[in-house]
Amino acid sequence: MAETFTDKRTGSQQETIKRAQRGDREAFSRLLEDHYALMYRFAFKYCGQRADAEDVTQQACVKLARVLPQFRFQSAFSTWLYRLVINCALDWHRKQTATGDPELADSAVEGNAEPAVMLRQVLTRVQAMGEGYCETLVLVHGEGLTHAEAAAVLELKESTVSWRLHEIRKRLQREQQPGVEV
Amino acid sequence: MNDDELKQLFARQDTAHDDSARDKALKAAMAAFDEAQAEGKAEQEKTYSATQGSATMSRLIPDHQPVGRKAMNTITADSPVKRWTFSALASAAVLVLGVFITLQMPWQAGMEPAGQTPPYRETRDDALPSSPKVALEERAVQAEQELGSVASESHIVVLDADASASAQAASAAPPPQVARTERKLQAAPAAAAARVEADGFAVPALAARIDPMPPRGYQETGRDRFEAVEANPVKRVSEAPVSTFSIDVDTAAYSFVRRQLNQGVLPQKAAVRVEEMINYFPYDYPAPHSSDQPFDTHVTLMDAPWKPGNKLVHIGIQGYEIQGEQPRSNLVFLLDVSGSMNSPDKLPLVKQSMGLLLSRLQPEDTVSIVVYAGAAGTVLEPTPAKEKQKILDALNRLQAGGSTAGAAGIQLAYQLAESQLVKDGVNRIILATDGDFNVGINNREELKGFVERKRESGVFLSVLGFGQGNYHDALMQTLAQNGNGVAAYIDTLGEAQKVLVHEATSALFPIAKDVKIQVEFNPATVSEYRLLGYETRLLKEEDFNNDAVDAGDIGAGHSVTAIYEITPVGSDSGVFAPSRYRATEADSSKSGEYGFLKLRYKLPDEDESRLITQPIEVNARQSEGLVREARFATAVAGFAELLRGGKYSGDWTWADALGLAQANRGDDPYGYRAELVQLIRKAEVAKAM
Repeated sequence: MAETFTDKRTGSQQETIKRAQRGDREAFSRLLEDHYALMYRFAFKYCGQRADAEDVTQQACVKLARVLPQFRFQSAFSTWLYRLVINCALDWHRKQTATGDPELADSAVEGNAEPAVMLRQVLTRVQAMGEGYCETLVLVHGEGLTHAEAAAVLELKESTVSWRLHEIRKRLQREQQPGVEV
Repeated sequence: MNDDELKQLFARQDTAHDDSARDKALKAAMAAFDEAQAEGKAEQEKTYSATQGSATMSRLIPDHQPVGRKAMNTITADSPVKRWTFSALASAAVLVLGVFITLQMPWQAGMEPAGQTPPYRETRDDALPSSPKVALEERAVQAEQELGSVASESHIVVLDADASASAQAASAAPPPQVARTERKLQAAPAAAAARVEADGFAVPALAARIDPMPPRGYQETGRDRFEAVEANPVKRVSEAPVSTFSIDVDTAAYSFVRRQLNQGVLPQKAAVRVEEMINYFPYDYPAPHSSDQPFDTHVTLMDAPWKPGNKLVHIGIQGYEIQGEQPRSNLVFLLDVSGSMNSPDKLPLVKQSMGLLLSRLQPEDTVSIVVYAGAAGTVLEPTPAKEKQKILDALNRLQAGGSTAGAAGIQLAYQLAESQLVKDGVNRIILATDGDFNVGINNREELKGFVERKRESGVFLSVLGFGQGNYHDALMQTLAQNGNGVAAYIDTLGEAQKVLVHEATSALFPIAKDVKIQVEFNPATVSEYRLLGYETRLLKEEDFNNDAVDAGDIGAGHSVTAIYEITPVGSDSGVFAPSRYRATEADSSKSGEYGFLKLRYKLPDEDESRLITQPIEVNARQSEGLVREARFATAVAGFAELLRGGKYSGDWTWADALGLAQANRGDDPYGYRAELVQLIRKAEVAKAM
């Protein structure tokens, strides 16, 4: 899996965050540049669509500018950032369902369409299972976090994360084989 | 699809980002950062304690501003002519709007009989501007001023432009009205605007200022308030073998859901309370024979249709039906006649409903009517039901208008009920409202405290909910649950008929109060369980034996159903993985029981509770009738679960619910069950939309 958020240069990163919190423009800009790719990647896996992922990421960046001072170094910056992106994504999703956008209708598919479509189908199904499932799935399988790390991001118990994943697996399996009576 | 496949799926995604999008996002973020910093500095200069930044999210801003916005921005309009034209147009628009609202206002908003001023008007009049019309004009002026000050530097110019523009625009409106409004506008009374401010109408949004008192027949939408609750989770018997809850005979949730579905929309999840959906229907459980033990319990077992391996335990309670003479009753109708009730499905329906209820009363029963709007007042002193015409006249005089001093109304109603208290009879307040209390106590906790103290006096409370769009369910629930009451929701005359005529005895005469149910599951036979619904009625285990703890009440002839979904030991249908270390010790002596049911209740005039117990046997003999009723209840529960999002209903579908309900309709003399079948079809359609 790709690199996790735990920065090896934790010390220097902390310094950057602190400077950005004090209002250092350049430090904030560097922070953004360092993390944009990660935020976008996560957003894409959550939304399954380029345009939406870009929107969510932009919102998350703007929000970061506003709420960065609230980061208190009580958790890893990455954990906090994941939470931020998830919140933005949830807002986006809420708006999406509120305006009643037909989800798969605007299939303006790009070059490598097939995996994206597959992903979107899985996401739609996981989304339908209830609140919280999608985030869990993306954090663990998409981002390669351990159950404990995902639990920290979602502010849940580790067992809940495990249970959700188990549930997702079980239900996806069931839906995959329609011939089987359950 | 297994874990590796899922991982692969994510790994195969092309997650390289687009540089131009990235730059755009970074630019937006930097702008937000600068803004936040500027705000933060300003904030810090004012006070050091304030937190920096804010959690609210900025909107996405397109690179190019839309043209329309620039056109509207009159300050930057390049020529003075343009500037004046724009501001004149804006002012004219406000004026026309103001005139329309003024014309639609009911001239008088009260329920006084001719030539008589009810007490509540006197108490409020001094605080309000002399007439609603004037108040509106003042507000229009203020709105006008606001627009004006944004749009131009000079008021006079705007107002002049106004006069000519509106003269053309107002051809639809009667001239005297326009002239009046115009005069007002030209005077531009800053003082009047200031008075409006001081009167407490200062609301930031412009729209709110223009619409402080709704026109006749107004309909709000999207402001129904429900308390969201998580569905009961599955519990391990080894960890929490005892489940305790209070019974709930409310039916409000079902009628509200029905109303939404009939309009072709799915109800919001929080509006769906499983137990109220189930208990909406009368069930054909065998009735007990004496009032000493006012009800019988019936336990039925069946397989869970949505999860093979699991079983459903139905606990059915049938209340004793009053035989012979009805007890004497002292009823106080507490009716909401505030402006929000001014809609065909509210006050007119309230009047009809109360008229229906009258038909079920005996000649000696007394009825009084208390109304509340801006303040509370007695409209009808206690009157015997035989003077039916007098009561109906009083009802028909009522009109809706003004704000809502609900708490004052409740206080007055309790006073009146207590003054007429009938020993050995029924003393009940029937509150009809949309729940929107906005004057006096409107804090739910405080109201709750008030009705809690009042229930000691022996007065029961029934809450009938009306209307939608601004329906405050949470408040009604609080009142009903804490004031020894029941809550129903009346959406149609048919529903009023059900609640107040067919089931009048259950609505009026309590046979038991503080009814609590406790089930202890046997760890040797049951591994997991879940209570369907009753989320708002859960009690602590120790509260079961504590007679001071309040719980639900049962009326004559009520039937109440509770359903548990259990996973028997040995079945792999549970949600918990088996524990590797916890040994399950089997107590073979009780292996024929799934659990033990205990039920506590008090007779209406007693303070000490009585106990009923019954084991839940694995192989109990079950009559065919009970099984049919249990199946129907299951169909309702499954339907409710689907409406709540289907977290626990597995891959059960609308069609399954439909089939089960259809097959177990039974006699259904009033057609309630047939209606459910229709609703399931409608839900399926609404879901697909």
